[in-house]
Amino acid sequence: MKKLFSLMLAAAMLLMLAAAPAMADGAEINMFISSPEYADAVNELIAAYKEVAPDVTINYETTQNDYPTLLKTRINAGMTPDIFSTTSGKEIGDYIEYSYNFAAEPAAAAMDPAVTNMMKYGDGEVHGFALKGNYFGVVYNKAIFEEVGIEFPKTLNEFEKACEAIAAAGYQPVTTGFAEWWVFKHVAQHFMSAACEDPAAMIAAFQAGEAHIKDYPVLYDNFFRFIDLAVKYGDSKPLETDLAGEDSALGVGKAAMMLGQGAWVEADLLAIDDTLQIGFAGYPVTDDPAQSQVIGGSDQALRINKDSANLQAVLDFVNWWYTSEYGQSWFCDVAGVIPPVSGAKVADMQIIKQGAEHVAAEGSGALAICYSSDSFNQAMGEAIQAYIGGSLTKDECCAQIEAKWVELDGSGV
Amino acid sequence: MKRKAMSRTERKALADTLVFTLPAVVMVILAMYIPFVMSGYYSLTEWNGISRNPVFIGLENFKTIFSSGSPEFIRALIFTFKYSALFILFSNVLALALAVALTQRFRLANFLRGVFFVPYIMSMTIVGFIWKFIFTQGFEKLYEITGWGFWNYSWLGDGGLAFYSLVLVGVWQSLGFYIVLYIAGLQAIPTDILEAASIDGASAGKRFFSVVLPMLGPSITTCIFMSLTNSLKVFDIILALTKGGPGGATYSATLDIYREAFQNNNYGLGSAKAIVFFVIVLVLTQVVLRFFESREVEQ
Repeated sequence: MKKLFSLMLAAAMLLMLAAAPAMADGAEINMFISSPEYADAVNELIAAYKEVAPDVTINYETTQNDYPTLLKTRINAGMTPDIFSTTSGKEIGDYIEYSYNFAAEPAAAAMDPAVTNMMKYGDGEVHGFALKGNYFGVVYNKAIFEEVGIEFPKTLNEFEKACEAIAAAGYQPVTTGFAEWWVFKHVAQHFMSAACEDPAAMIAAFQAGEAHIKDYPVLYDNFFRFIDLAVKYGDSKPLETDLAGEDSALGVGKAAMMLGQGAWVEADLLAIDDTLQIGFAGYPVTDDPAQSQVIGGSDQALRINKDSANLQAVLDFVNWWYTSEYGQSWFCDVAGVIPPVSGAKVADMQIIKQGAEHVAAEGSGALAICYSSDSFNQAMGEAIQAYIGGSLTKDECCAQIEAKWVELDGSGV
Repeated sequence: MKRKAMSRTERKALADTLVFTLPAVVMVILAMYIPFVMSGYYSLTEWNGISRNPVFIGLENFKTIFSSGSPEFIRALIFTFKYSALFILFSNVLALALAVALTQRFRLANFLRGVFFVPYIMSMTIVGFIWKFIFTQGFEKLYEITGWGFWNYSWLGDGGLAFYSLVLVGVWQSLGFYIVLYIAGLQAIPTDILEAASIDGASAGKRFFSVVLPMLGPSITTCIFMSLTNSLKVFDIILALTKGGPGGATYSATLDIYREAFQNNNYGLGSAKAIVFFVIVLVLTQVVLRFFESREVEQ
């Protein structure tokens, strides 16, 4: 029995040895981030850095599916990546024990203040940087609006009229993607942003259990009216249509407006029809056209492991990425994304250009999705799905959302 | 009692056994038992799965589950039991019927056995994506062609229908496995008993219900047991088809545990739910196993 036990122990130790990473000579940076759609671009960035710093090796890994679970597994196995991703805003705090405050670094100074805002923690600490900026709003087919002879609606009443007119012209007014829980957070944040002067404080009050949806007419009346209209004028099977369904409905010219999306869908839409005239605008949220705003900012954060074995090498890389000429133009020329740094040139894409114009002319709404965790955002999406499916009434849905805000984002967690 | 010294061949046999089972034993211990013990510990902590220091809170998580705090877990459990009941019923009845048909002598019997087995060797995630496509695009096309209303139902977008869609896909996928088990059982029934029954004047139906079915006892026990454990653990097919939606209508117990631990960042509470579910599965399977074993006839 003793022999058996020692044999088993020996085998287990052998396995552990085999799993230990091989040591390299120069500094190594382990980068494990989400956003696999930018894998080619990131590889190009790494190749360019190899010429600047030949003895630094960057091990880049990416995955979309289940990234947070994989990240937690690595952190708990004591293999925290040197650079990793979380969402910005609320989740900055969740991973605070692992993340480096690089407020004093040149990279932080180069960052677009709208992006920096979502990376802050406590008193001026900066705990993340972004792979890209983002724009959220309604993506629409300009050709259909021209054919019907209407402008893009800026108020809820105009939205209802536009839907009627588009439906009368034989098109599907909106495609909603309501099978995806995250579509709801992207839509709802425009209403949260318009609901009061200080959405961050409002959401903090919800999380503390001190606020009620009923007290905010923009949420209780306008948001649900918008959802009802979207279902009425939307896909025939609303809870079955996902992002792919939305892409196809707008891409083939069947639907006029697409909800819950932003700058990231442009490439997919153009892959379906490269002559598509894509329009981009804020959501109609109230009776005031000025409140229909595009939202800009970064909902994803890249974090630096503060206990990294090669912290200086990691910082050098990030500073180079954010401040060098190549690094700054990489966002536009290679990745084709909205630069998260100030003053860099902007990519020639329809949504990005219109997003930038809207923000310059009308200002940006608050990136309210980031004031809540994705745990809550998912629960909120499910509650609204249940409302659409008819298993919850509007008041039950609101009560469930309020309860989830306290349960998942309240001080208890 | 005096222990007899082992003979050389006996020692060799023992050594063989150890060497060949050791890798499996090590892997099972590493991948199953150690994590099991660890989640037992985590179930006694408050931990978000991220922070360095889980806080020990004793049985607090279990109190949360049993007092009131978990209507979602209860709903997921009810969903799982409903799913299991239908899955066990349909997969066993259909598999038995098909097994009887496929043990008849006809030309395509062997080919058809293969056809029914193919879905079983596909990964559940792939099966999920295939059926997602069928439910959304395929059914839409069929509706255009036939005009029959039920093709146009929202099979994955309506909470009630999505449940039956999941049962359908689950049964479809695993049917081949149970067919194989039943075919093996059917082929093991001695033909002389069946011939004797024929000579005594038993009709085909009588032969099936009074001779074949009782003789299949061990196969039925195995199949019920396997389908019970497999359906209680249902996870990947739901993740691929509905992700628990629409509106949280199709969360199974395992998916709810996953959501609690990894999405809601309550690793401790998730572990506690996992332990509770483990006990439920253990008790349930043992009761069912005992019940069916007690009804088997001696061969």
